[in-house]
Order: sequence, then C-alpha cells, then structure tokens
Amino acid sequence: MSSWLRGRRGRLFVAALAVAGLGIGVVLWNAFYRERPAPYFESDEDHFLYGSIGTEAQNGVPYWIWLVLPRIFPEFLPGPGGYAALGLLSSGGHELPIGLSRVTIGVPRVSINCAFCHTTSVRTAPDAPRLLVAGGPSNQTSTQGYLRFLFACASDPRFTADVILAEIARNHRLSALERLSYRLVIIPRTRKKLLEMKDQYAWADRNPDWGPGRVDPFNPMKFGNLGQTMDATVGNSDTMPVWNAGGSEGRAYHWDGLNTSLQEVVLSSALGDGTTTRWLDRDFARWNATESREMASLRRVQNYIGQRRPPKYPLAVDAGLAANGAAVYKAQCAECHDDGAKRAGAIIPIDEIGTDPSRLAMWTASAATAYNAYGQGHAWAFKAFRKTNGYVAVSLDGIWLRAPYLHNGSVPTLADLLEPPEARPKRFWRGFDLLDSVRVGFVSAGAEAERSGTLFDTNLPGNSNAGHTYGTRLSPESKRALMEYLKTR
Amino acid sequence: MRPELARILRWSLLSLGLAAGLLVLWFLAAIFADQAVEYDDVVEHFKHGSIGSEPGESLLRPVGGVLPPYWVFKALPSICRDKLPGGYASLGLIEEQGHDLPIGVSRRRRLGVDQVGLNCAVCHTGTLRDSPSAPRRIVVGMPAHQLDLQRFVEFILDCTLDNRVTAENIRGRFPRSGGPSLMERVVYRLGVVDRLKIQTLDLRNRIGPLLGDRVPRWGAGRVDTFNPYKAIQFNWPLERLPLSELVGASDFPSLWNQKPREGLHLHWDGDNDSVDERNLSAGLGAGITPVTADHANIKRVRDWIWTLPPPKYPYPVDMALAARGAALYGANCVACHADHRFKDGVVSGDRVGQVEPIERIGTDRHRLDSYTEAFAANQFLLFPDSPYRFTHFRKTHGYANHPLDGIWARAPYLHNGSVPTLRDLLEPPDLRPRAFYRGYDVFDQNRVGFVSDVPDENGRQFTRYDTAVPGNGNGGHVYGTKLADAEKAAIVEYMKTF
Repeated sequence: MSSWLRGRRGRLFVAALAVAGLGIGVVLWNAFYRERPAPYFESDEDHFLYGSIGTEAQNGVPYWIWLVLPRIFPEFLPGPGGYAALGLLSSGGHELPIGLSRVTIGVPRVSINCAFCHTTSVRTAPDAPRLLVAGGPSNQTSTQGYLRFLFACASDPRFTADVILAEIARNHRLSALERLSYRLVIIPRTRKKLLEMKDQYAWADRNPDWGPGRVDPFNPMKFGNLGQTMDATVGNSDTMPVWNAGGSEGRAYHWDGLNTSLQEVVLSSALGDGTTTRWLDRDFARWNATESREMASLRRVQNYIGQRRPPKYPLAVDAGLAANGAAVYKAQCAECHDDGAKRAGAIIPIDEIGTDPSRLAMWTASAATAYNAYGQGHAWAFKAFRKTNGYVAVSLDGIWLRAPYLHNGSVPTLADLLEPPEARPKRFWRGFDLLDSVRVGFVSAGAEAERSGTLFDTNLPGNSNAGHTYGTRLSPESKRALMEYLKTR
Repeated sequence: MRPELARILRWSLLSLGLAAGLLVLWFLAAIFADQAVEYDDVVEHFKHGSIGSEPGESLLRPVGGVLPPYWVFKALPSICRDKLPGGYASLGLIEEQGHDLPIGVSRRRRLGVDQVGLNCAVCHTGTLRDSPSAPRRIVVGMPAHQLDLQRFVEFILDCTLDNRVTAENIRGRFPRSGGPSLMERVVYRLGVVDRLKIQTLDLRNRIGPLLGDRVPRWGAGRVDTFNPYKAIQFNWPLERLPLSELVGASDFPSLWNQKPREGLHLHWDGDNDSVDERNLSAGLGAGITPVTADHANIKRVRDWIWTLPPPKYPYPVDMALAARGAALYGANCVACHADHRFKDGVVSGDRVGQVEPIERIGTDRHRLDSYTEAFAANQFLLFPDSPYRFTHFRKTHGYANHPLDGIWARAPYLHNGSVPTLRDLLEPPDLRPRAFYRGYDVFDQNRVGFVSDVPDENGRQFTRYDTAVPGNGNGGHVYGTKLADAEKAAIVEYMKTF
C-alpha cells in the first residue's frame, strides 16, 4: 500500500485527495463560517437602530429559522402579531424590527443591538400616529419574552428540520445544498445553542419576570463570562435612556453608577448583548477612524448617543403653571437633579434614598474586579468598574418619556411618584404606549393597557415602589405645577 | 446457461431498466412541470389567466392556493348539490359561454395535475343589467359587487371536507372524453385527495374565526382583506385578536386607471402608496405566495390596468344638468376626490389620495382598526430576499380620499359599501337607507347605483345589508348633505361623466 502511494499514481491520488479536501473545506467554511461585511447604514441613527454590534456570531439565530419560528409556534408568543407581540417595533419598511441586525456568517443570522432596549414608542392619543424615539428607554419591548420565545421553540419536539424547512419553503426557495446544510447542521446546531442558552438563563426563572421595558442587565454577564458564583440576587431594572450619554468626565453610569466611562459602558454593554471579544478587538482597532464607513461600529453608537437629545414634550404645556412649577422644582428637586447642582449625578446612599435595594445588591465588588480583569490583554481593557452603595441622582432630561419611574419602573406616573409610597399603585400594567398627559407617564390601567401590557406587582422581590419621598408632601397645586414644569425638561 | 440465453436475459434486463428509468423521468417531468394556460388577448388573460395562485412547490406539502385541483373544483357543485343548489353562478361568479371555468378562476398544470387558482378578475369584474329582462353586461376592472366571496370560500372548504368527496368519487366523475391524461389519473391515485383534505383542514383552522356567524358576514361585493392574510401568511391565532379587529369587511375597489394612482395612498385606509406592492399584496389574498407567484403574468395584468380606462356611463346624461353639477362639485368635492378629468390623469385637488383622519371623516372605523402596526411589521417580512419585498406599508389613522373615476360603476358607496346609491350618500346619515339588499345587478339610473330592494331572483338570494351591524355603519362623510335636492341631483348627474 505504502509503496503504491509512493508511486506516480499514488502521488496523483494523494494530490487529488488533498485538492478535494481543500475544496470541501472551502465549501464548509463558506457555508458555516464565512463572515460577510455587516450592512452599512448611511445615518448614525439607522446604524443605531439596525446596524450590527457583533452579536451575531455567538447569539445569532439563522435568518430563515428566525423568520418562520413565529409562524410555526405562535402559541409561545403572548398574542397574535409575530415578534411585534413581544413589543418589537418595526418602521419605515425596514425588514427587521428595530434592535435586530442581520449579518451573514456562513448563513444570514439575526441578533440584537443596542436599540432593542433603547427605543421608545409613544402615542399622544389612541388615534395619533405612533412616535418612535431612538435612544429612549424601551417601554414596550420584552427582552426576556424574546429569549423565552426562542427557548420555548427550541424545547418543542416540532423544532425539526422537516417542520422548519417546510415553513421556509412557503417563503423562500433554498438550494438543495442549503437545504441539506440546514437539515444536517444549521437547524440541529441552532436548537442545541438555544437550549444551552436556556440553561444559562435558568436562574432568571427563579426571579420575578423582567416584563416589558426591563432587564436584569448584569446577572447574565456576572454568572456567565465573569464566572461569579450563582446567587439569588434580582437585578431587574428599567432600561435607561441613552440620549445625552456624553456628559462630563467621571459621570456615573448605570442606575447605581457602577462605571464611570462612557466608552467602557458602550463596550461592556455590547459584551452583555453577546458580542465576542474577538469581534470587539477587530472593532476597537477602528475606534479612531474618522470616516463613518471605516469607523468602529460601537464608536458610531457612542457618537450617536452622545449627541442624541430627548424629544420635546409633544403636547401643549401651560406656561404659567410650568413657571410656578419651576420654583417648586428649584426648591425641592434641583439640588439632586439639576445639571451642575451640588448632588447632581452623585450616588445617593441607599439608606437615604430608600428605594428597592435589589438592583444595587446584585452588583458586587468581586464582580467589579472580575470585569476590570476580563479584558486584560485587549486594547479595550476595562478599569472603571466599581461597587457603589446607592443609586445615582440622574438627570431628568426627557423625563416625560421615561415612565414608569424609579430605577425598577415601579411607579407608573410622575403624579404617583409625588404621592407617599403607601399611596402609590400596588399593581399596574406596563407596556402600553399611550401617553397620560394628566398624570405624566403611560396609561397603566384599563382594557387597552391590560391587552397590550404586562401586570407589574410591587410586592414581588425587586419591585418595591418605596423610597424617594421627595415632594410627596407638597400641596396638590404645587404638585400639578411641578409636573407641568417637568414636561419641559 | 447457454450464452445466447444469457445475452437475451442481459438485454431484456437492460431494456426493462431503461424503460423503468424513462418512466420515472416522465413522472418527474410531469410532477415538476409548471405550465399555465396562456391567453394572447390581455382581457382574456385578465379574466382567465394564472397569476400563480395555484398550489405548487412540493407534492407532499403543496404551498399556496385556495382552490382544489381542477377536477375536484369541477366536481364539488354536483357532489355537494345540497350545499349549493345553484352552482358557482349563484354565488355571483360570472360564467361565460365558451369557458368551462368562471371569470377569475385560472388553470395551471402544477404538481402533476391541473390546478385552478383565483386571479384578479374574480373580485374585480362586475355585471350590470339595464332592466331585469335585459342582457347582462360584464365590465372588467369593475368591483365584483355581485360576488359573495365568503360564501364561495366556505363552500369550497365545507364541500372539500365533506365525506362524499373521496378519490373514488372524483375519479368516477372524470368525463368519458376530454378527461385527465393518463399521467394525471396516475397522480390522482397517489393520495392527491387525501392531501387536499389535510391542506383544506389547515386552511379552515387558520381562518375559522372569520367563518360562519362569529363575525359579521362580508356579504356580496365585500372582502376582509387583511384578517385572512394574518392567518394564512403569518399563522396568527385569530381567536386571540379582539373581536373589533376581526371586523374588516370592505368593498372591492375598481382596478382601472392605475397610472395616476401611483403615489396616492391606496387601499381604503391609505396604507400603501405603491401600485405594484398593493397589487402583489392583493395577489396574496388570491392565493399566491412569495415562492409560487407568477410575476410575469402579474406584470401583464399590471401593465394593462395601468391605462385601462374606466367604463363610460352607458345611459344618457343630461349635460346641462351635469354642467350645473360640475360647479357644485367644484365647490364641495374636488379638493379631496379630483374631478371627471382624473380618468385622463389630471389630479385636481390637493387632498386627493391623502388620508383623512377618522375623527374628521367619521365613517365606520372597523376596517381601519383591522390594520395594525403589528401587521405592517409582519408584511415587511414578505417576499424576503427578493426585489418584491414589501417596504411601503404603514399604519394610518383614517381613510384615504379616493379618486372617483368610473364612480357610477362602483356602488354601493363608502369603504364598507353601506350606502346603496350616490344620491343616498348625499343625504345625511340618518336619512340613508338602514337596510337594503346587495348583489342584485339591475342598475338604478335615477339614483346611480344598483336597485337595492330586491331580496332574491330566480332562487338566488342577495345579501341583506343591515347598517346596524358592527362594521356596516353608514355614518360619516356628510359632505354635500346640506345641499338642496336639485343641487344634489345635479352633482349626481355630473358624476355620471366620471
């Protein structure tokens, strides 16, 4: 045998085998690994809404599977409507909802970006057009609902090549080779990957639901990449607005101010969304490029949220009343909430502020140390993670659009926030986008709010509506004036 | 074995194998053949040609389509005579001499058998008569005001699932001559009817909440455009939608003169401003899918309706009266609806094709509410990875101001067909008819519309339209209702010239 191999015909055979092997390798690489450039969006806003932040390689669901899952498993969605039933927002003829990007890595894959949690939907009247505000806190989108939907699909015995390919065939003609690779590799691997993720998120099922507009922002990272011991903390909190994200050096970011660098916040948030360090290295190498086509994707995001401003209150404001309110504000609120004031942006100790401590307790000194060590050896390595002992006195820019209020979204309107905790609603509905211009917030009761919303129960761990009692003893007139003034912030 | 014998054996085995191979090839060629019946004349193409709405793609899991294969479609009325004594014509489908299928039903060879599908003409060809005894006029591009599409679909579903519809029964009804080919007979023995029942069951399960009396019936001349689409294309569980969203029935529109409509807000609620996208979306309702659509044949219809003129009013017009009406129309209507010159492409009026907010127009809001942001989001995913992907749809908050070309042939009026004649539309809502009949095709030259007080004719029942039923409200659009009777008559006379 070996002598035959050394012969002329043998050498030819080996060469042919090598060529064939190489060919098969190229085909396989092309079918499963070849990464094509992410689609380029001209405007920074479209890049923020639809552009890739590199989460597809790790968490991307193959596009054709993603497309048909809601049609195969509508019973795992909270209602009819496909992904829109989870509060995902689509607009302007864009194929994918806001917050999802599509990149081809072998096959086209769909995964999330920053806008998934940072775009607000609001209507000023039931028949008014919906206004979508990029950079606002997502009041409708259910991040956990999206994950759970994918997990439920993957757990179902119908998640098979036969069923999925049959549904794809109603929409698109895959080639025979593509069908084969979906049948043998893509579909089984997607299922496996989703089931692995389901296991990784098992801890979240022991905690209260996030609900629309909320996430547990750090526990996934803490228990995952940072290798922290599993604990029973509840980090559930409102997604924050990312407009005016620039601010001054040393500004405290996140509800508890656990980081002080915008760049680190942007990069680490991407990691939290599923971006790989390999992708981050590549992106970071283009951080200082000046042409937007050359520029790092996350740098474009950072630039966008740095200059993004909140929208003006869309209805009429009673100027006289607001002027009275300005005086109330100056006396009651400005010290902590006025830019440049003494305690603006400061961390108010938890004993003083008295709001729900769960989100604060979720983050530990050990986790901060681990995150600062996580990027060692990478050009983007972090150093600004820290442990604090309170919640940040945040700026109130665009506050009319940031309901429900407090870090955990436990108070539906500004009017309710100005009531003593025991008088605030104990249960209300979140996720409805109709503006309540009287109480300032979103409508949180009634048939429509129940239909498109999710019940929020302040008795559950992490959901307390206590604390922040400032202004609760004002006269009704002063409260009305103050709320009118806050519409102008 | 003797060598000759071995050779003969070898040869016979070889030829047998060859013959079997050829047979398989022939069979595969028949299964994969996709051949529409083509028509040279474009009007015939419109009336009978295929837009690709026949099932296709896979023998085991056919994609698309609403109707059963040709020989089943032909046999259903005789098998289920008790469910449809008058045949397809009694539902308002138009049968013509020399055609074995009604207008709007196309024929195409797919998956090894002759299939039938719906095309544009089924909902967009109307009939009218000058008097009960006059011959029927067929007007292409006119709303099919006489067609009860919902009863048609219900009959197809019910009868296909009827126990009397079996493969044996269908085969037994093949005609002695002119029946299916040998190959087609073979395919019919391979479980075509059984699979048809499974697909039909799936379709009925999906649109079930829209059938029967669970939501107000569409009745003659109307269709719920988007709710079946939610279930068929996207598999939304309709039973979980609020009932108010399921009441979407509205009138068929006319198809003529599309060119000046490009860029106007189309559909009753103005949800799209691209004629091509609107066309393709309507095709989905007829049963095409992103993979089975025949884009070339659709384009042929599209190019023809682009410039198809609206039909001329076939009766005398009092031109002096019409001239007085023109002035009144100019003062009261033109800003939103353009005038008689729209048929020549003249768009006069700055609100033509714009969406009028629902608070202002005040007409029944159910059709508006049947279209939602969530639905638009799903539509953006149709025709994925193709140049046809939908990008123009949007949720609106009112009804669009439509041009009135050929308006005389577009009765009943308003988006839900709640007002029988033009003259009635110029009355205040409380004086408009509360209940009337739809589907009868004798024309009322006096009030302009169809005679609306005839409940049945020769055993054929027409639709009783009750304006008190949700979705059927005849309120709103009060423009011109305060004019004097003589002025109203003049406007109506003028509108005959559109």
